[in-house]
Amino acid sequence: MKEENSLSLFREIAADPYAYLRRLKEETGVKMIGSTCTYTPEEVIIAAGAHPFRISGQSQTLSNSDAHLQAYSCSMVRCMLEDGLSGKLDFADGVVFPHACDSLQRLSDIWRLNIKSLHFDVLLPVKLDSEISKNYFVKVIGRFKNDIEKALNATITNQALQDAIALMNSIRSSMEKLYKIRSENPSIIKGEDMAAIVKASMVMDKKECSAALQEVVGMLSGNENKKDGRKRILISGSICSHPDIYNIIENKDAVVVWDDLCSGTRYFEGVIKGENDALEAIAHRFTERYVCPAKHLGVEFQMANMKKIIKEHNIDAVLFIFVKFCEPFSFDYPDMKNELQKMKIPFLMVEMDQHNHVDEQLHTRIDTLLEIM
Amino acid sequence: MLTLGLDIGSLTAKGVLFDNGSIVEKHLIQVGYNSKNAADKLMEELLAKASVTSSDIKKVIATGYGRNSIDFADKSVSEIICHGKGIHFLLPDIRTIIDIGGQDSKVILLDEKGTVVNFVMNDKCAAGTGRFLDVMARAMETEIQHFGELSLKGKNPSKISSVCTVFAESEIISLVAKGENREDITSGIHLSIARRIVSMVKRVGLVTPVAMSGGVALNIGVIDALQKLLKTTVKTTPLAQYGGALGAALLAQEID
Repeated sequence: MKEENSLSLFREIAADPYAYLRRLKEETGVKMIGSTCTYTPEEVIIAAGAHPFRISGQSQTLSNSDAHLQAYSCSMVRCMLEDGLSGKLDFADGVVFPHACDSLQRLSDIWRLNIKSLHFDVLLPVKLDSEISKNYFVKVIGRFKNDIEKALNATITNQALQDAIALMNSIRSSMEKLYKIRSENPSIIKGEDMAAIVKASMVMDKKECSAALQEVVGMLSGNENKKDGRKRILISGSICSHPDIYNIIENKDAVVVWDDLCSGTRYFEGVIKGENDALEAIAHRFTERYVCPAKHLGVEFQMANMKKIIKEHNIDAVLFIFVKFCEPFSFDYPDMKNELQKMKIPFLMVEMDQHNHVDEQLHTRIDTLLEIM
Repeated sequence: MLTLGLDIGSLTAKGVLFDNGSIVEKHLIQVGYNSKNAADKLMEELLAKASVTSSDIKKVIATGYGRNSIDFADKSVSEIICHGKGIHFLLPDIRTIIDIGGQDSKVILLDEKGTVVNFVMNDKCAAGTGRFLDVMARAMETEIQHFGELSLKGKNPSKISSVCTVFAESEIISLVAKGENREDITSGIHLSIARRIVSMVKRVGLVTPVAMSGGVALNIGVIDALQKLLKTTVKTTPLAQYGGALGAALLAQEID
């Protein structure tokens, strides 16, 4: 029962994240800074006394955003813009736009011209793996710190940054523990609940989140090493905003045990190391963790990462979930497909719009993948 | 053991009764808006046709879009697996199945034993499906039953570049306005659907021999266009529409 209570907090917040944020703002008066991508240095926002939250694109029907973006644009970006234009984010004081891909870059421009709020651009380098780009990234974070200080009229001390790093590290390490526990014992918690935990963690008050995660980890620890006979699935792609997919898979005697999603492991991957210069430490996490395909490092990098996950988590099949028209992932796919074929790992690629429901056709394709295995 | 396979598709519902290595009876009805009602009606009519009662049926497998709404089925299996099984039974040497139904199209690759090893399914819209042909036949004021034959009479197929059903229809209206003849436009329409299917075949990799299943397999124009583009024979069977239901009935034979 205690488990149910802890999980229900995450479920409730994930079901309506903006209602939670609106309440948080009313209760605390904290400044709310939205983020459009996991390359947002949340620690800097926390150190300024503000609250970072992920804009999840909650709109299910798009109308306002279609006046600015074509139907063949990334639906994640279209949904976020719809949230902004339709007033769903009226509690937000500002929004951060890391320039990870073209669509986010354009979203920043459209937002600046059409929605009144504080506006922050994080100009990511094109590549993230060279020494030059690492140094550049430190400067990018430094500039973001100055922008935040100016806009929020705050002073960010090194100590405040170190405290924020410690807080975010605690969230990331709890989340990683949770994922590992579940990989060891997939029956311990349902896939849709795991997705709710990650989604809620992206918007919750960070101290509340850290405590709630530690509670869940504490409750579930000690139940590892109970792998069941179900087929073990890896979800690969950018986001999976459809909890139904986890249920479809679980109804077919299979289970999602790991992912490389932006709405999953990429949010918590990489603990920030203790370095004297907090800004350097924050920047290094971004350049050292899994790199988003938008910052193309070559298919060898993507494949090496996938092979590592397949081995570590005994993956039986891969389900690629791409947001329609997301080029970085689509360009990598043919090579990934060839490699998986060589490895004789079954896989399926599906493209989805974020705001669409899971339809019967998708259901059929996922069922077939699992029936073929 | 008498088994029943039910394939509740987007437009039609098909049922096949199977026993002792052969089809006992088959039946097809329109689905309408309620797949559960369609399944009940199909079952009732099929049983009457075969003069058997529901207690004679030992196992039932449901497939197709409506598969999960059939509460009396012992199991539900996706139609891709069922089509593979059904077509392998009817045409044992087939390695690639092109299945074009009312609302989607699929290319299914089988191994020598008839097991599905890979598949692709159209995931964008109605382009390359039976619905596309319905809309185009209406635009050409032709009955769908005669649409394929009409396409064979085209000498210089018109160029239809749009894959979108809506845009293709307006493209056709422009061709009509230009005075292109009906046979050539119809021929162009069939080639356009075939080109779309061929791109899916290329995604899984063509392995011959090839067969077509699903309702559109009854359209000789699509088969002809596919043969031209794939440069191979595309077989079919008069039971092409029943491939999924037959596969389900066959899989039901394997239930313990």
